[in-house]
Amino acid sequence: MTERRNHEIVYDPRGVVSVEATPIAPRVSKIAGLRLGVLDNTKWNANKLLRRSMQRLDQEQGFASVTYYRKESFSKVASPELIREIAANNDIVLTAIGD
Amino acid sequence: MHDGINLEKLGLPTAVVVTEAFLHEAEVQRAALGMEGLKPVVITHPLSSLTDAEIDSRVGEAVSQATAVWRGA
Amino acid sequence: MDGARAAVLPKSGVGFDPPPKGTDLIEWYYAKGVSDGFPVAPPTPEKVEATVAALGGNADFLECGVPPRFGGLTREVLAVNMVMAGCLPEYAPVVRAAMLALCDTAFNLNGVQATTHMASPLLVVNGPIRTAIGMNAGCNVFGSGNRANATIGRAVRLILLNVGGGWPGDLDKSTLGHPGKYTYCIAENEEESPLAPYHVACGFKPETSTVFTIAAEPPHSVTNHVANDPEGILDSICSAMSTIAHNNAVSSGHCAVVLGPEHARTIAAAGWKRSDVCSYLWMNAGNLFRKLAFEHRYGKVFNRNLPLWYRRDPDSRIPIVPSPDNIHLFVAGGTAGRFSAFIPGWGHMSAPVIRAIDGAELAEGAVCLDDSCRV
Repeated sequence: MTERRNHEIVYDPRGVVSVEATPIAPRVSKIAGLRLGVLDNTKWNANKLLRRSMQRLDQEQGFASVTYYRKESFSKVASPELIREIAANNDIVLTAIGD
Repeated sequence: MHDGINLEKLGLPTAVVVTEAFLHEAEVQRAALGMEGLKPVVITHPLSSLTDAEIDSRVGEAVSQATAVWRGA
Repeated sequence: MDGARAAVLPKSGVGFDPPPKGTDLIEWYYAKGVSDGFPVAPPTPEKVEATVAALGGNADFLECGVPPRFGGLTREVLAVNMVMAGCLPEYAPVVRAAMLALCDTAFNLNGVQATTHMASPLLVVNGPIRTAIGMNAGCNVFGSGNRANATIGRAVRLILLNVGGGWPGDLDKSTLGHPGKYTYCIAENEEESPLAPYHVACGFKPETSTVFTIAAEPPHSVTNHVANDPEGILDSICSAMSTIAHNNAVSSGHCAVVLGPEHARTIAAAGWKRSDVCSYLWMNAGNLFRKLAFEHRYGKVFNRNLPLWYRRDPDSRIPIVPSPDNIHLFVAGGTAGRFSAFIPGWGHMSAPVIRAIDGAELAEGAVCLDDSCRV
């Protein structure tokens, strides 16, 4: 609420967004030879986009491994267990699709 | 973007693919979760209901951007 | 997309510069972009403080963050939105319980706010608080004319807009929306129901008040003025359920059925209980897989959003939801008229949540976590 003489009392219904800024992970200098993880959120055609992207990238770059994961539900956040498993076994990740 | 942010927090560069209609939402999500530095991969909308040839076109859009995201280019 | 809306997404609610005395505050709040389209009641210190007091005081207490914007829903912010909606302070425990239920991770409010589907939270209130605050559980229960139903539902929607940031065309991508996005709140008609109240069937004591939330399409009316047995009435409801058009057909998940009291009495007179009704509906509603697959004429369809254990032969019957427990049954509406309603849900991406109002205890035997049951 903000109040001053000769002014109306008004309220802001929006609530404060307080955010702790987090940096992104360090970038990689080259892709070839890394372990690629692919996370499919199971929305329509995400699997086709991802599988073809995986193949094309592997042909162009050559990964040490390519592993495909599926989320259990497209509009839910991936479970902590799945995220930990992906992080433990891969170096970079491709995920889709927000549509 | 939530999954991408969670993976980046664990140290993995992550290329998150969204269609252009959802770019604004992706930007707001990453701001709300405190990772404004996470660049999404943006492809033409829609992805559902496409032919195989149209999907291949989206693959082209995705692959070049993904490499740039991982390398920070 | 509303260009003005897209540009103005505040990072934090830092407060508004107060306008001069004599300003038309209804128009002023419209101009600030905090209205659902209807005029908001300009909050006054007296009304806000009375509502915060009804929440237990402590205006800065943070109840939850509301996705997708994750604005902080403090008691004061909750009260401001309630007063704007036209709520009385005594509605506050219901609105708070509804918001806590919606922000439970099982509900997936982030997804519900953002989806292109039209789903909007439906609130169903049980227990003594319904009569204490004058809710309508009877005639025209889904309609207008009752302050509690109208403004509790509206307060929740204003919070989803203002605190959650779910503005249409911006973070709310719903292609069509539906009128429930103005308000969608009813009470179960426990007094006229021959069946156990919904919350009692969930394991709550009758004297506990609860709010149930489900991401829902609008009600689809079911007419039956002919049948005088349970099967006939329920066959009409099965007919409304057995279409490929609603979201459960393609995305599984949960749905709701509301029996009008006349239908409920006929069903109960034959000795049927809640589980009989839900089991019959589950068993007899469904779609042929070939219809869901459009005869595979756009390519071979598997549909990963349906359970893996469904047979995907062309003439397999695909249930509307995976279990009778996913059909949430209520009795509501007026005592005259042989009508019921089928209310499709959004899909497996969201689970309904029921929450006791103000932390009341569950009866023994129920299995829930910290006041919330994922049903």
